[in-house]
Amino acid sequence: MTNRKRILTYAFVTSLALAPLGAVSVRAELDHAHELGKQIKCSCGGCEQSAGTCYHVGGAFSGPCGIAKTMIGEIQGHLEKGLTDGQVIEAMIKEYGTAAYMEPPKFGFGLVAWVMPGVYLLAGAGLVVFVIGRWRKRGAAAEAVAANSRTITPAMLERARAMAQKATEE
Amino acid sequence: MDVFGSFALLLAFVCALYALAGGIAAILTRHPLLIKSARQAGMAACALIFLATFSVVYLFVTDNFSMAYVASHSNRDLATFFKVVALWSGQEGSLLFWCFLMSIYIFSVLIAYRNKHGELMPYVGTILAGVQLFFLTISNFVASPFKALAIANASGGLEYYMRGDGSGLNPVLQYPEMIIHPPNLYSGYTGFTIPFAFALAALLGRYPGEKWIHLTRKWTMIAWCFQTVGILLGAHWAYAVLGWGGYWGWDPVENASFLPWLTGTAFLHSVMMQEKRGMMKIWNVWLVFITFMLCILGTLLTRSGVVSSVHAFAQSNIGNWFVGFLAVVLAICLFAFFKNRDYLESENQLDSMISRESSFLFNNLVLLVACVAILSGTLFPVFSEWFTGSRISVGAPFFNKVNIPLGLLLLFLTGVGPLLAWRKTSAESLKRNLLWPALVGLAGGVIVVLLGAASFDKVNIRIGLLLFLLSGVCRLLALRKSSFENLNRILLLLTVVGLLGGLIVILLGSREMFALVCFILSAFVAATIAVEYYRGARVIRARSGLSWLSSAMELTLRNTRRYGGYIVHFGMVMIFVGLAGQAFNKEVQKEIGVGGTVKIGPYELLLQAIDQKQEKNYVAERMIVEVMKDHKPVMILFPERRNFPTNQESGTMVAIYSTLREDLYVVYAGINQGSDVPTIHVFLNPLVKWVWYGGIVVVMGTIVALVAPRHAVLVLSGSKVPEAVAGFATAVPNSVATSVTLREGHD
Repeated sequence: MTNRKRILTYAFVTSLALAPLGAVSVRAELDHAHELGKQIKCSCGGCEQSAGTCYHVGGAFSGPCGIAKTMIGEIQGHLEKGLTDGQVIEAMIKEYGTAAYMEPPKFGFGLVAWVMPGVYLLAGAGLVVFVIGRWRKRGAAAEAVAANSRTITPAMLERARAMAQKATEE
Repeated sequence: MDVFGSFALLLAFVCALYALAGGIAAILTRHPLLIKSARQAGMAACALIFLATFSVVYLFVTDNFSMAYVASHSNRDLATFFKVVALWSGQEGSLLFWCFLMSIYIFSVLIAYRNKHGELMPYVGTILAGVQLFFLTISNFVASPFKALAIANASGGLEYYMRGDGSGLNPVLQYPEMIIHPPNLYSGYTGFTIPFAFALAALLGRYPGEKWIHLTRKWTMIAWCFQTVGILLGAHWAYAVLGWGGYWGWDPVENASFLPWLTGTAFLHSVMMQEKRGMMKIWNVWLVFITFMLCILGTLLTRSGVVSSVHAFAQSNIGNWFVGFLAVVLAICLFAFFKNRDYLESENQLDSMISRESSFLFNNLVLLVACVAILSGTLFPVFSEWFTGSRISVGAPFFNKVNIPLGLLLLFLTGVGPLLAWRKTSAESLKRNLLWPALVGLAGGVIVVLLGAASFDKVNIRIGLLLFLLSGVCRLLALRKSSFENLNRILLLLTVVGLLGGLIVILLGSREMFALVCFILSAFVAATIAVEYYRGARVIRARSGLSWLSSAMELTLRNTRRYGGYIVHFGMVMIFVGLAGQAFNKEVQKEIGVGGTVKIGPYELLLQAIDQKQEKNYVAERMIVEVMKDHKPVMILFPERRNFPTNQESGTMVAIYSTLREDLYVVYAGINQGSDVPTIHVFLNPLVKWVWYGGIVVVMGTIVALVAPRHAVLVLSGSKVPEAVAGFATAVPNSVATSVTLREGHD
């Protein structure tokens, strides 16, 4: 394959691969304020839900309460002023406090909540790999000892039978 | 009856105290009479708890509104079966109910093993008595359900009185699931006490052999099964009653029930390492300890008001008692562990990274990480308040983002794990075992995309995904036919395209992509299970001539544990499929007059009328909604709102048109105060039914795994026993060995 052909092939491959990107970026949001409302907790204190999904169990009306509607209206107002999604959330938190987060912010102390699961996973995976490595070394050492003693005793046979039995019965 | 019940509960406390003190004395002295009396005191405590519980039920059924607990949770018009279940509708009654369920377990254990495991049982009985004593202390002296209503009179004394009617049961609890959800969930929580007692007893008493681990596993499975059912019924209750269109909201109470389930699941997998290879004894013992402690922690979280929840009990000082108990349990576990650590020495050896053992280690890792992540997320508002002075809320979006990838990883391991051999798996065998399941998985993905799951609505996204999946299929086929070098080269290009495209769409992180991955993995895991069944059944069929179905059943009965496990895995696959469906949920909320319509997906809903009906305990206002699909009438739904005059509360009664494909979920939200127009809230939730059916399959699988297997035994015959089977012959009685044929049978 010549260089020109190779470059064309790579370009073709990349363009095909990037095709979905364009589609996703033009995805329309019908009710953007409502969607953003799902990231802000309703401050009515009775539903423990987001402003976008507020409902009231046991209340006279199972749907967005007055406060949730006000909050959605405020979000709409911010959007009309040209604020970005991040700026809208920031403005709402400034007004309603950190208790209005539906998920911790990705800065300050909130970042800890996001980082920790990854840390648990990485640390745990590291530990598992370390433990497996250590156990494998032990296994190899035991195998070497077994290989050196060429005689197979009845006790060893019995043990092997028992292990095979265990392994196959589950 | 209230005095009788109260006295029975107090006497149960005394008996439990004796069972604990006598049990400790029995362990120290080994005196047979002490052992027997401690055991009998434990059983007496259980019987007395039964009596106390039935007294509370009697007080409810007879409308005894002189009792504070009855007056606050019932009323005269309440249906009788709701009066019975009102027992567990509040703090005091639910704690007594907790004691009651724990007593059933304890009684069963004390009776079943009264003549067995002589060295172990005194320890087990004593530990169980200790746990029981704690809950009896709470029920007797902190949150007693037998408190009478009284007011201070003029002379400063107390005057007892009876209310004319009670405040009524919380409307959201007046649904059928309420009858079975708490008993199942509590049976799960309390059930984990038994494995805890066995594990701690074995460690404290240095019980020889591995019998205790089998007992621990069996009781863990029972508790785990109840916990699973309890969680799913709770989810169904939330779905069918609360009217928010979902079934899992990562509420602290839900999380509290999920935590011990995760560690219990981890234990049920890692225990196999101990049984088969004598490995991970320390890990297993701690998993059992942690599972029990998480049950207590969950109770603490939901009853102390530490975290806010839509269905937690009111804030009370009861939390301090649980903190104290948790500290004592932890101290005892640590003491037992450090004192007898050498007892848990394991033969930890591994031959290869690619082995069943490794898969179990990673399975445990994922389950534990999910558990810790959920716990830290649940407690994060508390931590943030401690460290920063302001409370940062953590809601469902956080838990979804963290747990969806972990769930998918777990699903992947569920498929791969059973295909790996113990000790070592060769690359050739791995390729052979994985090929067909992987093909099925990718083909499943192709089908999902072709079916056009609602959100894959952009043509180029579909093309990208199809390229990705097809290239995977081709790549796998190329592996199979590796001699076709040219084909392999062409397919390689396609694979690169697909992989790059797939990587990009997945990195974009939309939930639909996670759902697609979930569908692929689900098909993959289902295929691995099918392959395992096929291989086993084929052998039996060849030898016995049975049909495929009979062979599969025979296979299951011969190795209930293994194939029961596969059935559980299949049930989990169904649940995952249902969960993935959430990515495609749709909803519409609309103010609607009679004659008005709402459109959602392929459905059109026409409001025909709104009427009212008077029931004994509530007034129902309901919508009559005609459902049409593709302009053809499908059915009539009756979503309603119930107004309970006794406690001035309202509740929804959701109407659901449920199919395997999707649920049409209709809520009558009520009259909008601003416009005075009725409001309807309609959800289209795909695949929800798979979650409930998956739960049923999980329970069936667990029951199968608990049943004793039918072992194939060799019945030796003929005049001469072959040398090769001489070892087996020693186990066969002479009278049997002299009979004629060598055949397979069942013991």
